[in-house]
Amino acid sequence: MRVWELCKRNLKETYRDPLGMGFLLGFPLVFMLLFGAIFSGDNTANFPVGVIDEDNTPLSQAFINEALAKVSALEVTNYDDADTALKDLKFGELKAYIVIPSGFGQQVSQNWQGEKADITLQMTYDESDVMVSEQLISIINAVTRAFARIEIPVTINANPIHIETKITYVDFIGPGIIIFGLLILIPTSARTVVRDKEKGFLSRLLTTPTRPLDFILGYSLCLVVITIAQIIIFMVAAWLLGMNIVGNAGLAFLIFFLTGLCSVGIGMVIASLSKSETQAEPLCWLISMPLAMLSGCWFSIEMMPSYLRGFAYAFPYAHSIGASRGVLIRGVGLEAISTDFLFLVGWTVVIFALGIILFRRSMRS
Amino acid sequence: MTSHRIKQTETGDDFAIQTFNLTRTFNELVAVDGVDLNIRKGELFALLGPNGAGKTTTINMLGCLLKPSKGTAHVMGYDILKQPFKIKEIIGVAPQETAISEHLNTQENMNLIGKIHGISSEELKIRSHQLLEIMGLSGRVRDQVRKFSGGMKRRLNIMMALIHNPEILFLDEPTLGLDPQARRAIWEYITQLKGEKTILLTTHYMDEADFLADRIGIMDEGKIVALGTSHALKANMQEKNTMIVSARNLTPKVIDEMRKRYAEVSISDDTMLITDSQLDFREIVDRLHSAGVIVRSAHIKEPTLEDVFLNLTGKELRE
Repeated sequence: MRVWELCKRNLKETYRDPLGMGFLLGFPLVFMLLFGAIFSGDNTANFPVGVIDEDNTPLSQAFINEALAKVSALEVTNYDDADTALKDLKFGELKAYIVIPSGFGQQVSQNWQGEKADITLQMTYDESDVMVSEQLISIINAVTRAFARIEIPVTINANPIHIETKITYVDFIGPGIIIFGLLILIPTSARTVVRDKEKGFLSRLLTTPTRPLDFILGYSLCLVVITIAQIIIFMVAAWLLGMNIVGNAGLAFLIFFLTGLCSVGIGMVIASLSKSETQAEPLCWLISMPLAMLSGCWFSIEMMPSYLRGFAYAFPYAHSIGASRGVLIRGVGLEAISTDFLFLVGWTVVIFALGIILFRRSMRS
Repeated sequence: MTSHRIKQTETGDDFAIQTFNLTRTFNELVAVDGVDLNIRKGELFALLGPNGAGKTTTINMLGCLLKPSKGTAHVMGYDILKQPFKIKEIIGVAPQETAISEHLNTQENMNLIGKIHGISSEELKIRSHQLLEIMGLSGRVRDQVRKFSGGMKRRLNIMMALIHNPEILFLDEPTLGLDPQARRAIWEYITQLKGEKTILLTTHYMDEADFLADRIGIMDEGKIVALGTSHALKANMQEKNTMIVSARNLTPKVIDEMRKRYAEVSISDDTMLITDSQLDFREIVDRLHSAGVIVRSAHIKEPTLEDVFLNLTGKELRE
């Protein structure tokens, strides 16, 4: 009863605050709309890419013709040797060229049969054009990974690479923006709690017979409702902007939900450690912005130096982006993303427990 | 420093609040220093003191928000250390900050606290209707409180503390920052509650304590330095009376003569302040008149709680 009353009150405080709501939904939605507008429709980028097939197997040919060539953002040209491709790259005829090394087909085949084998592609690009090269790396990486992880086909033609051919920048960026939106839950959660603390409302409630667990559940439940609403809005918005949902939307929702809970947990930890909004606010941005940068929601994690990559994977967001892209773009199931998923579950449990412990402690002080 | 602690002779059952060597420290700072208080049931007791005197810390301990570092207190017989949730059921607290939900309306704010206390919807309706009438907020039931003036927020703050009909009411600086008119309005509402409930009020406005309280505990640096009714506290000051005379022709000779006759005589422009244990109004006026002084006005200044505080602590109780 008390929990529900507190939850209701917190929800009303949230949705009746236009500034807070604008921040919670508007901020990520504006990003989504902007990216959607920039990278959708007729203006989709068309990057000329050269391919040198040193493997020359049916699989490498399928990769070029059925996967790479069908990505709308790529304009694929076959080259016999790397020198010619390099010359065209230097003259600006190409944005990049890829060398498919011998053994590629065998590596892909092994992956298809459940044996893990590293896929190596050699890509040469103009590093001065950061934005283009970054997008190209992301696209080719996504296409290659999708191609290599696909279920075992009887023949290549019988299993056309339908998924990958439709990859657009919106597909790539959509899950990232949803995760970015869920990162915004860190300051939102912290603000919800710390504002009541600062304005004495929490103290007033503490003079009533409300138990500490009632508070925690009252605030958490409200934030969980906000998380669910936010995910639904973002997923619908991303879909309306043209993001293809190939895999199980329910599984993607679950990934986003766990990610949202991690943000709520981090927010509660920050709120417990802060005495005022002015203390909590910079702390939230100091944490959430680097986490957003490291999550891979704006650019590919593969571009980062290895030590940063390790750091990025210590937090849940890079895992949720990887897992949600896997589900939404490549249509993989829980089995393929089990490591990321378990990591998310673990993080959620630990950060929520820590948030509860610290929140209880801050109420006693 | 004079201590005026009253030795109580009543039994524990007569008291709504009793504190026993109640002490709270924050690192090196002793915020509340061994306070012993006995507040009778139905009494309006004011803790008067400057900011930082330890008034809010005392209320926070009695409201089970803070644990004492030493000592304890009983609220309606319940121990603050052992039975905090029993106490929370029977108290209402209006904190110093207007701790209300800004985006909720008046009714929703009251409902929240009422429902947390387990009050039925029907009772809540009757109780909130009564409070809205008393506090003059009937016309603003559905308005979000962020649009309210400071005075209205303070009134709602008190209403939220009263919605569950508590036996004891804690009012922490109930009129802080309000204009004189809004303060008067809140004083009237509090006056209506007198006798009905035990009220512990903290304030640093001496006129507020003077106007509202049955008894006053003057607090300074964590200690109760004087305790009694406003009348009794001021009566202790009668040994030091001051007469203020506004006059012309106050020559040095006249001033010298007055200084020989009375304990303290000070001059500021055309005003003479005469202080002594006993002052005879007519005698002073006659004496000045016969010395050729033209007396324009004269009056004996009544001691205020400010004078009491100054006398006890050597400091001024700044508002």
